[in-house]
This record gives sequence, C-alpha cells and structure tokens, in this order.
Amino acid sequence: MNQQELDGILRKATELKVFCEYGQRTIPVLDDIAAFVNEISPAIEDLKAVVDMAMTNIPKASDQLGRVTQATEQASTNILNVLDRMVATLDDVISAVAMGMVSSDLGAAQKKLATVIKSLLEKMGNDDDIIKLSEHWEAYLKTMRMSSHANNLEKLLKALQADCTEIMMALQVQDITQQHIGTAMGAIETVAEGLSKLTSSVFDISGKEEISIILPFHKNDKVVAEEDRKKMVELLLQKAKSGQL
Amino acid sequence: MASINILIVDDSITIRRIIKNALKTVGFPDTIEASNGKEALQKLTTDNIDFVITDWNMPEMNGLDFIKEVRANPVYSNIPILMITTRGTEHDVIEALQAKVNSYIVKPFTPQELKEKIEGILKTVQVNTQ
Repeated sequence: MNQQELDGILRKATELKVFCEYGQRTIPVLDDIAAFVNEISPAIEDLKAVVDMAMTNIPKASDQLGRVTQATEQASTNILNVLDRMVATLDDVISAVAMGMVSSDLGAAQKKLATVIKSLLEKMGNDDDIIKLSEHWEAYLKTMRMSSHANNLEKLLKALQADCTEIMMALQVQDITQQHIGTAMGAIETVAEGLSKLTSSVFDISGKEEISIILPFHKNDKVVAEEDRKKMVELLLQKAKSGQL
Repeated sequence: MASINILIVDDSITIRRIIKNALKTVGFPDTIEASNGKEALQKLTTDNIDFVITDWNMPEMNGLDFIKEVRANPVYSNIPILMITTRGTEHDVIEALQAKVNSYIVKPFTPQELKEKIEGILKTVQVNTQ
C-alpha cells in the first residue's frame, strides 16, 4: 500500500467519521419526526373519516336544500297565482263600484224629494198611500246611505290592491334565499373537495393532486345592511357616470 | 312616456312574474320573458326590444356574459340594460359597470325604485342620442 492509497483510505475514514457524527445528531431528530408521524397518523385518519363523512353528507344536505328551495318556489308560484286572481277581481270590483257611485246631482235631487215627502207627511199624515210612500222612502234612504260608502269603498279596494302588490314584492325573499343558499353550498362543497384531496394526498404520494380552492367570494366582500348596500351601489353608479371608475 | 317593450331575463319564474307585475303597476305593461342569457339573445333577434332587465346568476349564460355579448354586437350595443340581482358587493357592482350595464339594483326592490331606474336610464339614453 503506497502513500497515495493510504491518504485515500484516511480521507474516506474522515468522511465516514463525519457521516457518523452527523448521523448521531440526526437520529434524535428522525426519532422525533417518527414520533410526530405516529402521533398525527390517528388524527389524519380521524380527519379522513370526517372528510369522508362530509363528502357523503354534503351532497345529501345540498339535495335537501335543493328540495326546500323547490318547495318554496312552488309555494311562491301558488301565492302569485292567488294574488293575480285577487288583483284581477279587485279590478272588476273597483270598476263596478265606480260605475255605481252616487253622483252629486243625484244627491241634490234626493234632498229636494226628501223635503217634499216630509211636507206631504205633515200635511196628509193619515193617508195610507202617503204612509206607504214614507216607508218606501225610508227604505230607499237606507240603501242610499249604504251606497254612499262606495266612494270610500273604492279607496279601500285600491289599498287592498296595493297590499297585494306588496305581498308580491315580498316574495322576492324566496329567490334571494335560494341564491344565497346556493352560494354558501357551493363554498362548502369546494372546501370539502379541497380537504378530501388534501387527506388523500397525505396517504397517497403517487397520486398527489394540486389543491386549489376557489371560493365564490371576493377577498374584500363584506356583509352589509340593505340600506348601506343601496347607498354603495348608487355611489358607484354616480362614479361610473362621471367617468371616475 | 311612450310604451316600451321590456325584456325580462331571469331563471326564476317567480322573479319574472314579480318584475312583470311591478312593471305593470308603474306603467310598463309590455314585457317579454327569457330564462337565461342565451334565450335572451335569441329574443333580441326575433322581438322588438326597447329595454332589458337582467339577473346575474343564471344557467346556460349568466347575466354578465349576456351583457358583454350584447355590447359587443353593433346591432344591439346601445340597448339600455338594467341589472337586478342578489349580488351586492362593491366588486360585483364594479364588474357589472365595467361590462357597461346602464344601472344596477340589488334585490329586494320596490316598484317605485324600478320605475325611477327605468325612467332615469331612458332620460340619459335620450340625452346621449340627441
């Protein structure tokens, strides 16, 4: 063995020594990692079970919410049908009431007639025909008093029609709820899918997929009150109008 | 104000009926309906439409894509469009305005609000075309 070979062996021995020293230092770290993996494995298994359960139940929940929204849409349609009929009926009634209203001319003639009948009754109060006339006149007046409410009735019917419109407008809540539920369910499904990919990639490195979760919300989205939202929309419309957007 | 033909684009039959009734209440009785952007584009070619009211979230073609298609077509590019939607964030409104929607309403709305918006848009359009 010459000097060159001896130097080579010494160099290798030095490298081996360094490697052993490094090994000595890394073994505890590797032990810690192994212990950590042992510790988290059950947690990952639990998480996987939760995700599996979520993946089964989320579509079911989505389906149930879908049926709820379908039912509310059907109910809204039924209410709208009834309201349409009510509005049409009210239109007819309003026209009929307007046509049957007592005119002011008729009111004046009625007053004159009342004076004449009163005078006749005072003068010929014992005459059967006059008594009958007076009774029929009273009955007629009663009917006229009822129809004098017609003017007010028209206003009431129109108010009822306005109430029908208000109920109709309130049915927007069905669509608003449906759309918000749809957005929230979409977000839940996306997160569940992401979690599922994450847990499967922990156990299956070969089938590792890129995990990308895109939620249907913008990072600056905030839940604001209706009034503030409308103000914000108007402000943006003004800005757009003046070319500031 | 002269009678105008309004196209209502919304996938919800309930909302289409609500808008139709609200329009009738405030003096716009002539309406045509479409359930998504694709169907609305067809209606634009077959019917005489003066004004469009559209939702945003719809299947097949959403309201935003529909507006972009309309604005890109020289035949209809100037038609007034009002968007009525549940999407009410600043980001949404800006996106719709960038797509060149004339005005925007966040649901729920009232017939009066609808009337004011339509009349406002029609006034602006008239001023711009004069």
